[in-house]
Amino acid sequence: MTLPVSLLLLLILFSVSMIVVLLARPGMTMSRSGKVMAFLVLFFLPILCVSMGVSSELERSKSTAFCLSCHIMEPYGKSLRVDDPSYLAAAHFQNHRVPADKACYTCHTNYTMFGSAKSKLRGLRHVYVYYFTTPPPPEKIKLYDPYDNRECLHCHEGARSFEQGAVHNSDPDYLPAIKANRKSCLSSGCHEVVHNVGTLANVKLWNGGS
Amino acid sequence: MTLSANPVERRLQISGVLIILGLLVEALCLAWRGPLAFLVFLGLGGLLLFAGIVLFLFSLVSTPPHGT
Repeated sequence: MTLPVSLLLLLILFSVSMIVVLLARPGMTMSRSGKVMAFLVLFFLPILCVSMGVSSELERSKSTAFCLSCHIMEPYGKSLRVDDPSYLAAAHFQNHRVPADKACYTCHTNYTMFGSAKSKLRGLRHVYVYYFTTPPPPEKIKLYDPYDNRECLHCHEGARSFEQGAVHNSDPDYLPAIKANRKSCLSSGCHEVVHNVGTLANVKLWNGGS
Repeated sequence: MTLSANPVERRLQISGVLIILGLLVEALCLAWRGPLAFLVFLGLGGLLLFAGIVLFLFSLVSTPPHGT
């Protein structure tokens, strides 16, 4: 469960004020009720605050704004606003095929059992690279592994537009090959233009919906 | 506020101060929108809270039983 940040801050404020009372009158812990209060304010409430805080921070780390808060990601954010439907990321973002507020995470997490945890570990590596090494320029950034069709099929599999798409059915081997990840959605010549941040200087941007 | 002369109460007070510091770090990190916030939250805030809670639990088990 994720508590809104304002409520979480109120809970932290309440916990701090209760602890201050306990600090000012430590003798109250000699009574039974004082012991119960000490347990609540020095054990239960801090753990509650931390678990709610971790949940809130993890949820926030999925947001598009969070990903784009790194300077190096700015061109990727710009690529979501390209006014050209052949740009895959832009088409998904602008038509809300992915939630606009979680656009990066929706496509770049792994839809596997520990995919979310792996994404967070990759995020830690990004932080390390960004702050402690020389990060590559945006146009040189590469995925760790080739993009897996599984991430596309998480939404598109079973959708009529995908299953009955003319190109997808132009060869009887296409759909099984796509579903088995033998034929990449991105690098097989079909949906190759994704972010293409190296070409953004020459493209028109769409400012609607902002 | 002064530290109590009673060792158990003193431990409780120190653990309270550590937990307050940890909670304040957590509050700052929740308000701060930078990508490092979560790392500071867990690294510094988590450490302070962990130390405070462990000290509180230690003060519980180190309390001499009544009548001794």
